[in-house]
Amino acid sequence: MRAVKRQDFLLEIRTEEIPAPVLGAAREDLKTRVTEELAEQGLVPESAESLATPRRLIVILRGLPDKQEDKLSEVLGPPASVAFDAEGKLTRAGEGFARAQKVDPSELVVVETPRGKTAAARRSVAGRTAAEVLAEAVPRAVSTLTFPKTMRWGSGERVFVRPIRGLLAILGGQVAPMEVLGVPSSAFTSGHRVLSDGEFAVSGVEDYLGKLRSHGVEPDGEARRVLILDAARQLAREAGGSIESDADLAATLADLVECPGVVRGSFAEEFLELPEEITTTAMRTHQKYLPVRSTSGLLPHFVAVMDNREDPKGFIARGNEWVLNARLADARFFYDDDVRQSLESRLPELARLSFHERLGDYAGKTERLEKLSESIARAVGRADLAPAVRAAARLAKTDLTTKMVREFTDLQGVVGGIYARREGYPDPVWKAIYDQYRPASASDDPPREAPGAILSLADRLDTLAGFFQIGLVPTGSKDPYGLRRAAYGAVAIIAESAWRLDWRPVVAGALALHPQGVATQASEETLVELQAFFAERLRNFLERRGHSYDEISAVLSVDVWNFADVADRAAALSEARKGTDFRSLILASKRIRNIVGDERPGPPSPELYREDAERQLAGDFLQARPVIGRLASSRRYREGLEMIASIAPSLDRFFVEVLVNCPEEELRRNRLALLASIQEEFSRLADFSEIVVEKDR
Amino acid sequence: MLTLQRLIAELSAFWEGEGCLIEQPYDMPMGAGTMHPATFLRVLGPEPWRCAYVQPSRRPADARYGENPFRLGKHLQLQVVLKPSPEDVQNMYLRSLERLGIVPSEHDIRFEEDNWESPTLGAWGVGWQVVMDGMEITQFTYFQQAGGIDLAPITAEITYGLERIAMFLEKVNSIYDVMWNETLSYGQVRRQDEVELSRYGFEVADVDFHTLLFERNEAEAKRALEAGCVRPAYEAALACSHAFNILDARGAVSATDRVGLIRRVRDLACACARAYLAERLAVASETTQPEPAAV
Repeated sequence: MRAVKRQDFLLEIRTEEIPAPVLGAAREDLKTRVTEELAEQGLVPESAESLATPRRLIVILRGLPDKQEDKLSEVLGPPASVAFDAEGKLTRAGEGFARAQKVDPSELVVVETPRGKTAAARRSVAGRTAAEVLAEAVPRAVSTLTFPKTMRWGSGERVFVRPIRGLLAILGGQVAPMEVLGVPSSAFTSGHRVLSDGEFAVSGVEDYLGKLRSHGVEPDGEARRVLILDAARQLAREAGGSIESDADLAATLADLVECPGVVRGSFAEEFLELPEEITTTAMRTHQKYLPVRSTSGLLPHFVAVMDNREDPKGFIARGNEWVLNARLADARFFYDDDVRQSLESRLPELARLSFHERLGDYAGKTERLEKLSESIARAVGRADLAPAVRAAARLAKTDLTTKMVREFTDLQGVVGGIYARREGYPDPVWKAIYDQYRPASASDDPPREAPGAILSLADRLDTLAGFFQIGLVPTGSKDPYGLRRAAYGAVAIIAESAWRLDWRPVVAGALALHPQGVATQASEETLVELQAFFAERLRNFLERRGHSYDEISAVLSVDVWNFADVADRAAALSEARKGTDFRSLILASKRIRNIVGDERPGPPSPELYREDAERQLAGDFLQARPVIGRLASSRRYREGLEMIASIAPSLDRFFVEVLVNCPEEELRRNRLALLASIQEEFSRLADFSEIVVEKDR
Repeated sequence: MLTLQRLIAELSAFWEGEGCLIEQPYDMPMGAGTMHPATFLRVLGPEPWRCAYVQPSRRPADARYGENPFRLGKHLQLQVVLKPSPEDVQNMYLRSLERLGIVPSEHDIRFEEDNWESPTLGAWGVGWQVVMDGMEITQFTYFQQAGGIDLAPITAEITYGLERIAMFLEKVNSIYDVMWNETLSYGQVRRQDEVELSRYGFEVADVDFHTLLFERNEAEAKRALEAGCVRPAYEAALACSHAFNILDARGAVSATDRVGLIRRVRDLACACARAYLAERLAVASETTQPEPAAV
């Protein structure tokens, strides 16, 4: 047999600038899709790697077989009894089949099939070359990539994330001919947009990577990120400070440039008088600069990333300084203007600010927030916080009328908090206002203290109640009011707090606070929808904590509304399932569920026990039951689960020795009753039958 | 020094060299250069089109009484439309910067995602803001839809914010310090416009009058469309849009009204777009004389 020859394949799709947020996924997906398409065709490389810059998606396959293996193809024909006569000679029908299949009559064989012995034409099919396979696989892989937003260009026939402008495809040193979205492959590529001129030829992977770098392009995003951070730290040190670690920003910056350079700039010291959050937001969010800080606070410097090696004439540093100074001057203008008016005096303006056309204005929202946050404070046993959260709720939305928030929208809440602090409101009040939108995302921290957590919860529950009761719920990828994020944040705040309670009445209260006539459906119906919605967010939350799908299902099927308790039970379950008896407990639970089904046979009668195994199970269960109950009600779930698991051996014995579906109806019903009461007790903590166990090997 | 008027002259000359027809500003108030018929209507239909022009763009709510150094109620856009979008359109754009004396390799020039959408025009596009040395100097958009109609071929739209570029090139800290020509500053030419337009938009404009203007122009647009006068109908739609902007600045548009009024302008723009497209397709089929069997 012929030894497999292997060669390297290099693919580079050159585009106009791909948005940074989708670049990482595009790079990974392209590699995955290309290797999948090739694997389907029997071509598996020794290794596959992907790289990307804003202007190129790169896949490198090393050790790709140069052709598919030859295959034997077999086409079934007429039954052997028809194709061959009694002496085993070909009949006319047999000859006809061989002719039709274009094989020599001697190549006809007889094979066993479900239909009996059958004539078959067997022929060897030569494997296609890797180049042939690639020419189909790559375009197909590209056409199946998905993006949040695609576009058309030129004549408008092609669709991709951004226009494709070049295609480099090299297989074993030669051009691999193919066409992707109308662009034919070649052995040429181009370097950095302004640091390199024209196109250059590429002969292979190492040649390509080396030439790219000498033409101003670092193809590896991780290398760009490290280069940026190292150089930025160095520049910050030279200015007597350091940069904060900001992994998200560094990764974004790495995906915005092909040639990662950094430059340091300064801003006027007078702007250090502005609240730091505003200055750093202008730098970080608006300009994507890394602020420089010393131990004593922010320094009037920043590090900007540039798509260039250096800035010999200082144009880039000066330009960035000019822009930042202008932005900060703007911010100070807003700040000075805003603080002339107290937050309290802004309240009337909330009546002119619409929350949603069907849910009224922010004055209405504020009134509801005051009531709801107070009732949450009481519900979580912090009635002492009621005055503070009411005061915070009253002012919470006033910063929406400030010039600062209109310009720095992502500082909503923070600006209100800063202004409240400035006006001398006590800590719990201004901090609650400041933190009211936390957590802003799944990776963000919840509010620092209880008043902020209560206000944030109240705001989220009010928003969810409002939109759900008028039927504006998220569908598919559409969530224009950010309800998933709102609910996720509520779940996260509660699950990370010590507030273990049934939230259903609180949410019902939030629904009731909206004016009559707003709702387009009954609140019972809305609560059912909200329960399912919260269950999904809880699921996401628990998945982020590392829980597996089945254990989440198991705990959610018991109860949803006590979010923190659900999280407790999930934690206990994932610990307990590591125990030795747990696997048999789960198998037993599944069996119980199958046997009991929907029957509700009532309590078992001890006098009807006949078998030893039956008596032992009943005895063990009777002993364990009060203990399980006690442990569960004191939320010692881990121990409760261990107690449940301790019954597993007697359950196992029961199933081996006892026939549940026995002929005597009375005994059958009693055995069902025993199992059902065990099931009922167990399911106070989790529905174990949801747990997936690996099959015996 | 590159004065504002040199900036306009150089960019216009550059795009003229790239085959653009140099249009004139439209003689009606509008919020953006995109609303000029040379963009909004011409992006529709199959005919190729290359055009550049300056368009004063009025945003009454952005006016600041001539006091804020970065904000204007009326600013200048230089708009370039290229249909179909050329292969090397990004490089063409970079060459236009070279024409202004900018050597791209001495700067940091990035194309950062920024998609554009105009609810009043039923239009959206995909593209970037071009950021040079930290400053947004241009909007770069591949038009995908206009007047609710999917476009093909696709137009590339390049919009230079002229005051910003001039400020940036001159490194002055106020728009009003930009030199318009060698002797007169932007402030000397335009500050009083800003003061009065701000006062008018925020304090003086008669709400009933502008409400009436909105309604009468809306009715007139429909009437003109019925009579087959597409361009006059579109002009009336532009008048509606501007009346809306004045009412908005004046604080006379509630959040609820807002959605409805925008939809009414969009409905007009979409109707004009459909009528214009029908006209262009009819012209195209006449001039290309299709085979009788063609559909």
